[in-house]
Amino acid sequence: MNSDVHTIARETIEDLALKQKTPSWTKDLRLASWEAYLQTPFPTTRDENWRRTVIESLDLSTLKALEFAPSTSGADKSFPACFQSVIKHFSQANSTLSGICYQGNGRPGYIELSDEAKSKGVIFCDIETALANHADLLQPYLAKRNASKENGKFALLTGALFNCGLFLYVPKNVELKSPFVSGIGISTCANTSGDFGGAIFPRLIVVAEPESNVSLVHLTGSADTAGDNDCRSLPASLSASMVDVFVSDGANVSFVELSQFAQNVYAIGTVHNEVARDGKFTAVNVALGGKQVKSDIYTHLQAQGAASEILGIVLGSHDEHYSFNTIQEHNAPDTKSDINFRVALKDNASSVYQGVIKVDKCAQKTDAYQSNKNLLLGAGAKADSIPRLEILADDVKCSHGATVGPVDPEQLFYLASRGLPEKIAEELIVLGFFKKVLDKLTVDGAADWLVEAVSQKIDDSGYCA
Amino acid sequence: MTSREPILVIKDLHVAVEDKQILKGVNLTINKGEVHALMGRNGSGKSTLGYTLMGHPRYHITQGKVLFKGKDLSEMTADERARAGMYLAFQYPVAIPGVSVSNFLRASVKAVRGQDVPVKEFRKELKEHLTKLGVKEDFLSRYVNDGFSGGEKKRLEILQMALMKPQMALLDETDSGLDIDALKTVSAGITALAGPEMGILLITHYQRILNYVTPQFVHVMQDGQIVLSGSGELAHKLEAEGYDFVTKEPAVATQSRT
Ligand SMILES: Nc1ncnc2c1ncn2[C@@H]1O[C@H](COP(=O)(O)OP(=O)(O)O)[C@@H](O)[C@H]1O
Ligand SMILES: [Mg+2]
Repeated sequence: MNSDVHTIARETIEDLALKQKTPSWTKDLRLASWEAYLQTPFPTTRDENWRRTVIESLDLSTLKALEFAPSTSGADKSFPACFQSVIKHFSQANSTLSGICYQGNGRPGYIELSDEAKSKGVIFCDIETALANHADLLQPYLAKRNASKENGKFALLTGALFNCGLFLYVPKNVELKSPFVSGIGISTCANTSGDFGGAIFPRLIVVAEPESNVSLVHLTGSADTAGDNDCRSLPASLSASMVDVFVSDGANVSFVELSQFAQNVYAIGTVHNEVARDGKFTAVNVALGGKQVKSDIYTHLQAQGAASEILGIVLGSHDEHYSFNTIQEHNAPDTKSDINFRVALKDNASSVYQGVIKVDKCAQKTDAYQSNKNLLLGAGAKADSIPRLEILADDVKCSHGATVGPVDPEQLFYLASRGLPEKIAEELIVLGFFKKVLDKLTVDGAADWLVEAVSQKIDDSGYCA
Repeated sequence: MTSREPILVIKDLHVAVEDKQILKGVNLTINKGEVHALMGRNGSGKSTLGYTLMGHPRYHITQGKVLFKGKDLSEMTADERARAGMYLAFQYPVAIPGVSVSNFLRASVKAVRGQDVPVKEFRKELKEHLTKLGVKEDFLSRYVNDGFSGGEKKRLEILQMALMKPQMALLDETDSGLDIDALKTVSAGITALAGPEMGILLITHYQRILNYVTPQFVHVMQDGQIVLSGSGELAHKLEAEGYDFVTKEPAVATQSRT
C-alpha cells in the first residue's frame, strides 16, 4: 500500500500519476524531477548549504511514502488538537474563514470554502484535486521549478512524489479579508510500522493574480505528538516540502506557517516566493520541532516596486537542529526586502542561519535589510549566523546584523527583583523576544495563536499533546 | 513613635564587583515605619548597596552581613527576597521588549502574592493606581520600559511597588529625571505607600525629593562607607553647603537609632 521511497522506480511514479485522475503531463513532470533527483548527489555536511545538518544518518530505504486521500467537504471534522486550535484562534479573530483544508495520512481529507471565496472564483483545494480539476491553470506554476536542480535532492524528490499539498488561486482584483487555513498532519509515531518511517512530500502552490489580496495560514507537523522525547527512538521519518508562491502585479499575500514535527522527523523545505511589480509578500515561518529542520527560502523580487517581509521564529529544544537559509534576490530596481529571524535554543539544540542578499546590476535603489538574533538558553545550545552579500548595483541600501548570546542577565535580575524565578523570567523574556517580531503580522489572530504555540513549547508541554 | 522593630540590619558590609571593592564596611539599621535617606556623590556606592540588598548576582559580599526580618539575606536569591518583601526601585529600570506592562505586572503580582489575582479585580486595582500616578491606561499594553521616558520609567517603578506592597523598599534615585509635577506625583505615591510596617531607604543625591517625602534619618555615603548620619535636618545642610563639608568632619560611625 505505502510505497518504499528508496526502491522507487519509474513504474512507481507512473503508477502514482495513473492512479490520480490527472492529465498525462503530470507523469512527465514527476519523471523529470525523478531523473534530476537521480543525477543529484545526496548532500553531505561539507556542502555549504547543509552545514551541521546531520543528513547522512537519514536512510531513505527505511521510509515509506504515506498515503493521503483527496479532500471532500462534509468529511470528518474531528481534527487533531493542534489544528483545532488554529481554527479556534482564527475563527475568533475573523467572522468566517475563507477556507479550511486538512490533510492527514490514513484519514479522509477535509475541505471547506466560504461562500464569498466561492462566488469570487477562488480555487482552494488539495493538490491532487487541483490536478484533476484545474490542470491547465495549475500546470505552468507547478512546472516552473518542479525539476530545477538548484533546489537540491529533497525538493526533487518532492517534485517526483508529491502526495499531499495545496493549490490556492486568487483571481484578479479579489480581496479576501479573512484567511485560508490549511493543515497537513502526519502521524509519525503511530503510523510507523516496524522498521519503516513515514515520508510525506507536500507541494504547495499559491497564485495571487494582479491586485488581489489574500492570506494563508498553514500548519504542518506531527499530529500525534509534539516536541517530546517519545518519538526519538522511533524510525526516522521525512517531510520534504516544496512551496511556490506567485504574487502578481499589485497583489498582496500574507503567509503564516507553523511547523512542529516530532523528534524523529527530518523536515526539509524549499520555498520560492516570486513577487511582481508593486506586489507585496509577507510571511512568518515558525519552526517548533523536528530532528533536523532545514528550510531554504528564496524571495525573488522580479519587478519595480516589489516588496517582501519575511519573519522567522525558531524555538529549539533537546537535540533538535535548525538550518534556515534565506536568499533575498533583488532582480529589479526599487525593490525592498526585509528579513527578521529570531531563534531561541534550549538544551542542546542548535541552529545555523545563512542569509544571502543578492542585488542584480540593474537593481538600483534596492533597500534590503536582514537581521538574525539568537538567544542561547541551554548550556549545550549553539547558534551560527552567516550573512552574505552579493551586490552588483552601486546605488543600494543594504544592512544586516546578527547577535548570538544568552538572555541578558540584567533583564533576568530585573524580573527576579519582581519575584519571578529564573525559569519563568526567562520564558517571559523569550516570548517577548518573539513578540517583537510577531507584532509585524497583520493577519488577525496570527500573533495570539503563535504566541500560544511558542509558550506551550517553552514550558515543554508540547503544542499538540 | 515607631515600634523600633528592626526590619533591615546591615553590619560591616563589604561588597566587591569583579574583585573591585566598592562597599567598605556599611552599618545601617532600619526599623519598621522609618524612612531613611541615603545621600552622597555619584560613584560613592549607593546603587551598589541597593543591588546588593536586592541580591544582584554580580555583587559579592566579602565581609559582614545583612539581616532582613531577622533572616540572613545571603541565603536568598533575588526572587526569594522579592517574595519575602524586599523591593528595589531601579535607578535605571531595565527594558523587556515584547513583554507588555500588564502581563509583566500580573506575573510578578502572582509570584509575590503567591496566587493568581482574578483578572477583573486586578484590572480594578491597576486602574486605581494608574489614576493616582497620572498615567493613561494604554501604558499597560506598552512593553516594559521599552521606549519609556524617564518619568514613565519611574512611575512604573512606583506602580510596581504599590502592587507588590513590600515591607522594605529601596528607592534608588526615583526622583532623578523628573520634572516638578512628576516629582510631586511620585512622591505622593511613595508617601501613600509608607506605613508603620514598612521601611524605606530613599537613595538620592539631591535634596529635592526630601521636600515631599520626609525622612527621619539621613546618611551620607562616601567611598563605600556611611561617613555621616543625622536627622532630617542634615539634608538641608547638605543642600546648602554641598558635600564638601562631609569630608572635613570626622566620620561618625553612628547607627540610625542614636
Ligand atoms: N557592575 C559594576 N562593575 C564595575 N564597577 C561598578 C559596578 N557597579 C558599580 N561600580 C563602581 O562602583 C562605584 C560605586 O558605584 P555606584 O554604586 O553606582 O555609585 P552611586 O550609586 O553612589 O552613584 C563606582 O566607582 C562604579 O564605577
Ligand atoms: Mg546610583
